Amino acid sequence: MTLRPLHHALGDRVEEIPFTASDGTELGLCRVAPEDGATDRPAVLILHGLTASADMFTLPETRNLVDVLLDAGYEPWLLDWRGSCRLPYNEGRVRYTFDDVALYDIPEAVSLIRERIDGRELLVVAHCIGAMCLSLSMAAGLVPGLAGVVAQGVFLTPKMSWKTRARLHFGGELLRSRLVNIPTDFKKVGLWSKHSLIFAEVSLGAECKDPNCQILNNDSWGVGGSLFEHDNLDDVTHDRLADLYGTVPMWILPHLRSIELAHTMMRYNDADGRYDALPKNALDNAGKFDIPLMLLSGSDNRFWYDSNELCHDVLTRRYPEMDVRYVEVPGYGHLDTFIGRNAALDVFGHIVDFLDECRSVNATAVRE
Amino acid sequence: MPEAGSGTSRNRSVNRRPEEEVIERRGPGRAQATDLLARFRKTAERAAPEPAPADGAGARGVMEVAADIVARAARFLPGNTPDAETDLFDAGLSSVDAVELVAVMARELDVRVSLDDVFADARPRRLAQRWAAAAGLPTAVPDARPDAPSPSTPTTSSSNGSPSIAPVVVRASDGGADEDLEMILADLALADRLPFSHQADRVPPRRILLTGATGYLGSHLLLDLLRQRDAHVVCLVRAADDAAAERRLADALASFDQPWSSEVRRRVTVLAADLRQPRLGLSPEGWESLAQEIDAIVNVAAAVDFLRGYPSLRQTNVLGPLVLAELAMTGRPKPLHHISSVAVFNEVGIEKMGEDDPVAHIDRLVAGYDKSKWAAEAVLRRAREHGLTVTFLRPGAIGGHTRTGVYNPRDLSTGLIGAFSRYRTVPAFKFMNLAPVDWISKVVAAVVFDPQAWGQNYNVTGRAETLPELVKDMKLAGMNVRVANWRDWRDDLLQRHAAEPVPELDFLVRILRSPTAMKLFEALMFGPEAGSERTETFVTRHRLPMAERYGGQAQLKAFERMAKDGVARLPSREDPPYLSFRERTKGHVGPIGEDRDTRCRMALTLSIASMYQVVRHRKIDVRGEVTCERLHPEPLTVEAGEIWVRPDEGVPLRHGSDHPLLRYRLVLVDRDGGRWWLEGWKTARASRDFWKQTRTIEVTIGREGEPAGLSGVVKVPGKSYVPDQIDGIRVDPRLSSQEQRLAKLAWLSWFFVQVGMGLAEPSLRVAAELLDLRRDAIDRDKDKLQRKIRKLMIKREQTR
Repeated sequence: MTLRPLHHALGDRVEEIPFTASDGTELGLCRVAPEDGATDRPAVLILHGLTASADMFTLPETRNLVDVLLDAGYEPWLLDWRGSCRLPYNEGRVRYTFDDVALYDIPEAVSLIRERIDGRELLVVAHCIGAMCLSLSMAAGLVPGLAGVVAQGVFLTPKMSWKTRARLHFGGELLRSRLVNIPTDFKKVGLWSKHSLIFAEVSLGAECKDPNCQILNNDSWGVGGSLFEHDNLDDVTHDRLADLYGTVPMWILPHLRSIELAHTMMRYNDADGRYDALPKNALDNAGKFDIPLMLLSGSDNRFWYDSNELCHDVLTRRYPEMDVRYVEVPGYGHLDTFIGRNAALDVFGHIVDFLDECRSVNATAVRE
Repeated sequence: MPEAGSGTSRNRSVNRRPEEEVIERRGPGRAQATDLLARFRKTAERAAPEPAPADGAGARGVMEVAADIVARAARFLPGNTPDAETDLFDAGLSSVDAVELVAVMARELDVRVSLDDVFADARPRRLAQRWAAAAGLPTAVPDARPDAPSPSTPTTSSSNGSPSIAPVVVRASDGGADEDLEMILADLALADRLPFSHQADRVPPRRILLTGATGYLGSHLLLDLLRQRDAHVVCLVRAADDAAAERRLADALASFDQPWSSEVRRRVTVLAADLRQPRLGLSPEGWESLAQEIDAIVNVAAAVDFLRGYPSLRQTNVLGPLVLAELAMTGRPKPLHHISSVAVFNEVGIEKMGEDDPVAHIDRLVAGYDKSKWAAEAVLRRAREHGLTVTFLRPGAIGGHTRTGVYNPRDLSTGLIGAFSRYRTVPAFKFMNLAPVDWISKVVAAVVFDPQAWGQNYNVTGRAETLPELVKDMKLAGMNVRVANWRDWRDDLLQRHAAEPVPELDFLVRILRSPTAMKLFEALMFGPEAGSERTETFVTRHRLPMAERYGGQAQLKAFERMAKDGVARLPSREDPPYLSFRERTKGHVGPIGEDRDTRCRMALTLSIASMYQVVRHRKIDVRGEVTCERLHPEPLTVEAGEIWVRPDEGVPLRHGSDHPLLRYRLVLVDRDGGRWWLEGWKTARASRDFWKQTRTIEVTIGREGEPAGLSGVVKVPGKSYVPDQIDGIRVDPRLSSQEQRLAKLAWLSWFFVQVGMGLAEPSLRVAAELLDLRRDAIDRDKDKLQRKIRKLMIKREQTR
């Protein structure tokens, strides 16, 4: 297994930690040490979304989340779970589902970090599918004792537009039997291949001429959504999109389809005893969450739309005691909440404020 | 140009000796305007004779009354002691305070002046004179210095003790428009005293001075300046010290939903200073240091009040920009970007409002605000001639943020939107130059960072709203409006407001009652669309969002906020329904877990107050009766009730394939006063009986505050569904037949699409589960590979 090196400007402060999940899958985990060498900071585990990687949190061309967390007094930990484009699994032929991520990747990474941080607080910032998988782990009680969770884009109640639903669920069904995956990098596809038609389709009506941008922004992987607000990206980031977002495995569609149609994060593997630890329905078990939760979303998210606002409404109605809040970032889409040129100004401030609040609540609780 | 030819500097009747002496006495090198002005002021003060003892009852009366007014006004200005020549608004009096002050003056001093008098000129001495004139008393005052500095000049001193910037004007005896004009001309003359400089270097700024960051546009602009480049922004905020200034800025940003996080703080320096003071109230070192460190100045600060007169506004709106011009010309020349306003064109009957068209004639402007914005541009145009790079950015009305909905409660457009939604009438205006704050802010920030764009005029007005477009938007939202001649509209609004006052619209009503502000309003109603060719070209070049109409969709969030704050009003259950129809149900209920042995009927009237209500909240209002003998022998009345269509987007209540379709929640009251609750669910299931699913309601009923005691199922009879719920739709009879048809069509389309989507979801899930069994590309590829291998093997065998 080859883990592509992390792209960053953090020098030798990035410590790679060997990590293999108990099902034998090698994953990526790294810790970013503070400049002052402090070892008493609360740790923050950061989870990327499907086809992305930890690279999206360390963009050297902008002020990134890791920079901001370090300056705010935290110790960032970056997990590349099996859906990462730094890992080869999305381009391989060994299928996985989000159940594997919720059962192996996230809980085991949390355990490993806990061993290393020696009783310090652990908080989580999760994006997109990473957040959905985290919700399933949390509902299963596999990641107890977190001090706070930030979930961006989507969490327990995925919801898409009807246009995207139709294209993803049924158009995707047609493609699933013909394509093993859909690359995001046009260079891997070329002008004449079975993927070329998808690139041709996503270019229709696009303002940007970059095919890698078109497949993410104009018509994400041909399903009709849009993953970011084009003007929010730095030019360098825009030109690196193919490095930041990799190939989409088509075998993941059945699980994605089942949870989106149900508007609820659910376990997919029903008849497999290995997954019994996961609840069938994460939302039904959300009453167990006893940690502060911040749901974050861009006001112009055109992939998951107002899924997180819906999640907030459902959770506050069903579990009134739950400490859950919703923050909407005006003018942002989905990915640009982390990779946007001004994400530090517009988004990360909310995250740091929330993490600080979680810390102070915990500190008070410890004192009492 | 009128300002060039008739200023007080050219008025031969004015004694210029003291100023001439100051100019003569100045040392080598160019004296700064502020220095000169400060010295003029000192000279004038020295030259002025001591106030003569009061020799007339009238004169004595005026000054005494002025002193009494000062004492009363001080109650509203804690920590600030005005004098008879201080504009009370400049000293911190709010519009609400002004209303109270008028009452206090009448009650305690028996001095009766109108609120308009206070807004026009809030100097206690002028108020006393107005009262004296109205009472037929002498209005002369003991201090009859013909060459004295303007009485409107604030007497507060800067922190370093230097006197404030002070224009030299002749005080007109009769006050009013002539006095305004003379004051304006005197202010214009100040620009002549600016030094000469060369153009600013055409380099994007790294450190920007921003004024007005605590205001509505300024707070948005601050963030856009930070977003568009890596520049550092120095915010000039009026406060006692830097810490207080930072707190004030933080509070202001929070009030406009803008972040004040550590990430913002690290790129912003807050500087306590006062735009109205010479050298911004900074020490000479502070002034020099600021002049050296900043690369550009963005002036957003302005006193925006359509009721206050020119004397009350000039300090911030005219002299402030002049001080900034001086700062820009001190040391390394810096560009000054001035947020002006299309109010500079607010002359009734003006034909064109292009970016480079001549602005209005000053003698035809009536409102003090228009005059002050005009004068600010005039002084800065003169500064341009002195070499300063000045950019004019002229917004029109500034609408609410398209994403956050944050709006400016003091913008005229806010009052208008509030009035339209409340009274459902609109004046027959031509164009409304209105753009959302986020778009204006983005464009302005881009201009600041583009040196090629500096030194020009930009009308940042977006795309003007027209009457037909507004009426259509309101119609589509189910909030139909009537168009009226604008004077009739005004009279109607004033009448309705008098009958049922709405405090949130007080400021609009005050404007509509004020003769001067009315002129501003009239110019606004009948003015042309502002031309913005240069702005459009700039926006295209920078790939900024194109100016789009600030229509119903764009202003939705702002409108919702306004409704929440009581400014606008959304149609509610109490209003005559936009559309209604009946729903009758029959069924049986019984104690929970037992036989459903009791008949239960509901005769409901379902109504909506607007399409907004259903599209945005998916709620339907319910009235009617419920008959169930287990509850009461007599029918129970629905006191409150609503139906929620696809509650929570149809998220299942518990794990399974059933999705909620409709939720009923009713509060019932029986004839003996007993109160009950009823909850009902229509549920979509993965079965073929869709028609049944749309009509079946599972109900639970309980006493108020108690758990459910009864449960059962009621159904809408198939026979009554179409006659009641489609044919029987009744639309507000006040609407035209076209509007009625539109209402019916919009409702049915929306409702059937929603129900259709809700019914489809369980079936889609079932279908998807079956599709999951299909082989995917990996399986197919395996088969292909196996087939290939087999073929090869057969071939090999055959070859053998």
